[in-house]
Amino acid sequence: MSTGEGNAFLDLLNAVLPASVPSWIVVPSAAVLAIAVCVALISVNTMFSVWLERKVAGHIQCRYGPMYTGWHGWLQSLADAVKLLVKEDIVPRGADRILFVLAPALALAGILGAMAAYPFAPHVFFADIDLGLFLILALSSVTTIGIVMAGWASNSKWSLLGAMREAAQVIAYEVPLGLALLVPVMIGGTLNLIEASRLQSDWFGMGWFVFKNPFALPALALFFTAALAETKRAPFDLPEAESELVAGFHTEYSGIRWSFFFMEEYTGMFLMSAIAAVFFLGGFESPLTWGLRQSLGEDPGFLNHVVRADGSTQTLIAIGGFVFQLVCALTLIVKTMLGVFLMMWLRWTLPRLRVDQVMTMGYKYLTPLALLCVLGGGLWEWARAGWGS
Amino acid sequence: MAGPRSYIFNVVNTLKTTLVGMRITGKYLMRKPITVQYPDERMPIPDRFRGIHYLEQEKCIDCLVCARACPIDCIEMEAVRHGKELEWISFTLDYQKCMFCELCVYPCPKDCIHMGTEYAFVSFDRGDFKHDLLSYQGMAPDARERMREADAKKRAAAAAKAAQLPPGGEALGA
Repeated sequence: MSTGEGNAFLDLLNAVLPASVPSWIVVPSAAVLAIAVCVALISVNTMFSVWLERKVAGHIQCRYGPMYTGWHGWLQSLADAVKLLVKEDIVPRGADRILFVLAPALALAGILGAMAAYPFAPHVFFADIDLGLFLILALSSVTTIGIVMAGWASNSKWSLLGAMREAAQVIAYEVPLGLALLVPVMIGGTLNLIEASRLQSDWFGMGWFVFKNPFALPALALFFTAALAETKRAPFDLPEAESELVAGFHTEYSGIRWSFFFMEEYTGMFLMSAIAAVFFLGGFESPLTWGLRQSLGEDPGFLNHVVRADGSTQTLIAIGGFVFQLVCALTLIVKTMLGVFLMMWLRWTLPRLRVDQVMTMGYKYLTPLALLCVLGGGLWEWARAGWGS
Repeated sequence: MAGPRSYIFNVVNTLKTTLVGMRITGKYLMRKPITVQYPDERMPIPDRFRGIHYLEQEKCIDCLVCARACPIDCIEMEAVRHGKELEWISFTLDYQKCMFCELCVYPCPKDCIHMGTEYAFVSFDRGDFKHDLLSYQGMAPDARERMREADAKKRAAAAAKAAQLPPGGEALGA
């Protein structure tokens, strides 16, 4: 475990609430607080990403994109969200009502669960899980079940075709996705996101895994490609494929349920970019964090536990540590957003692939190349460790 | 092609073409959009643009030449003459019919009807497209003044003429 403290939300509640409040109230409260923060975060992230996507799309096509709602249309997503909330909630005739209603919730639940392993800063996180990467990959695949469910329950051939494509695509691309991630996991020897980030703090904060192994860069490219397919982004957006399948698996959805799928997609993009940032591009580490660490000490937290003269402890917020955590969080968010921006840039550059091309790319190109990367990267790491001596 | 060479070619080609495409879209991303934010800013209008008409009402003599020139009879005007002055009731152009051919402009003897630059003529009601070009109803603001002056001049001239006549000239003049 890399951190001296436990869950930041728990720590904060312990610091704020008087000591007389029993732990069976504090612990669930911390959990509720964390969930509320997580839901707020993915909503804000979705709104920002949708706005960014529309701006990127506009400017690539020599347009402005939204301009009228607020400064350069930055409130457009909020207006859209309000519109979606008040829209009629339609369940089509012949649809399997229970599955239809459950599907978007399941899709969002998977990605929400995966968000648990997202680290904000070395001391601010929902959960410091040793199998963090494994948890993200496992839970983000749950969304596929939600999507297949949505396609099946909609009683529409477009939805069903979209769902089948999604299932086929995820099965094909989950393998290279995991294999490509094995390379940084072998370099660092950990699946814990915070630990992996800490391992990249050498070389003046530039000891990123992508520089530490010649096979990490191709692995990053492979991971990014597979992540595009995993999050149904163009050129792999076959499950939605507007020109062929109306809107794919979410054809029959409207209002808030439809926006759940949207949130799922954009949170998926965010998470995949966050994985790329943490496991390839240094996570919290940059020369700036390295410099702060030089002046503040190895692992500055934002809470100081001071023991008073009468033996009781008091928790204070440490300014230096707070700044450090903030810089760490911003570093990771900037790296993540750059990945999201790259996904958008690719979407407005490449045309959609054909179904057979997607399958060919997944099975015949990405998987063998990822295996090669794992082999090469593993041998390199083995050599670096002195051939197992 | 088949075999390992084509495999490597495909991989390299995919990466290369993607990067080429991203360079092109990236270039467009960086340049200024060509959109004109329409209601706020407008494209420059050419000099000989034919938009909604405007009328120099003071010059107009209600001769109906423009209405006769109109190939689709969309101009209607109504005015009452008071000597040289006109009391305007209406001068309408039906923009549901008008095809902006400018044929009404050329024959005007006083050069008082013109094509303007306004083109965004929008309404929720078809009746609104029967557009009145008049800037004022009735007579010109200074018409009564002019009429009074002309009248006074006429009276003065008549009085002068009467003064010049020799006594008892009335019988002669008759």
